[in-house]
Amino acid sequence: MGFSINAGLLDAMVLSIVQNNDTYGYEITQYLRRAVDISESTLYPVLRRLQKGEMLETYDKEFMGRNRRYYRITTKGNDSLEEYREEWRNHKKKIDSILLNEGAENHEQA
Amino acid sequence: MNKLEFLTRLRNSLERGGLNPDDINDALSYYEEVFLDAGFGNEEETAASMGSPEEVAVNILRESGIHVGGAPVMPPQRQGAPQQQGSYDNGYVPPKKKASGGAIALGVILGILTFPIWLPVLIIVVVVLFTAIIVLASLIFAIIAAAVGLIIGGIVTLFEFPALGMIALGLGLVLTGIVMLICKPAFGAAIPAMGRGIKRFCGWLAGLFKKGGKENV
Repeated sequence: MGFSINAGLLDAMVLSIVQNNDTYGYEITQYLRRAVDISESTLYPVLRRLQKGEMLETYDKEFMGRNRRYYRITTKGNDSLEEYREEWRNHKKKIDSILLNEGAENHEQA
Repeated sequence: MNKLEFLTRLRNSLERGGLNPDDINDALSYYEEVFLDAGFGNEEETAASMGSPEEVAVNILRESGIHVGGAPVMPPQRQGAPQQQGSYDNGYVPPKKKASGGAIALGVILGILTFPIWLPVLIIVVVVLFTAIIVLASLIFAIIAAAVGLIIGGIVTLFEFPALGMIALGLGLVLTGIVMLICKPAFGAAIPAMGRGIKRFCGWLAGLFKKGGKENV
């Protein structure tokens, strides 16, 4: 991967994954790997941070005789994700205007 | 590095960093889950893909507001390139190569070479165990046979010599009672215990094979 992913972007992507479906750590990593090159150990601090910020909450669910920790998005997490998405749209537009020579003004999106 | 070693080193590093016990347990259960979800038998690859437990610990500590001064905590047996520190701000840890299979091969060869020593020992242990089980079973069987014999004999004798018959019948019933008394707790406890014992023995054997039978040399 040529471009580095910063902490905010990682937070936003994790929130988005969890918003689609309650899921567990290993699966989140596998999802993220479609887009970014991260290891299993990268995710834990992110999850912990989101949990402490009350954007994610956890519950345990039995799976093959053991407990698996599932993550669920909170209302605060949903709000935060919407902000992240808006920010990302703006950011993307600005970058594209330079990198892809696209006129920023002509790309109004909802 | 297997799961246990990874988790132990992670715990040690987090403890050294002064993280509170709740957070340590939370982190450990998360990483244990990663190992379990990655699948049994993939422990080595999973551990390798996460990098050294000490670096993982530094990232967790940093997220908890604990700054580990300068470089990550260095374990004495650390291998790998120290110049990589700090260049992975997002906690990205490059995969590491697996250890060579040389040690494993040596163990297997040792195991094969010492085969004449440990095979007879193994046979003796198995035979002794088997004998003990048989002896126990025959003892119980003998008592049951005596009880049944006395009861049947007692009933038959009752018609000719009532007194003798009653003695035999009484003894038979007493023995039956004893068998019931002994067998209920004995079977209840002994059979699962035997099962566990044999299972543990097999596990121990498997362990010996993995270590190449070095203990028997």
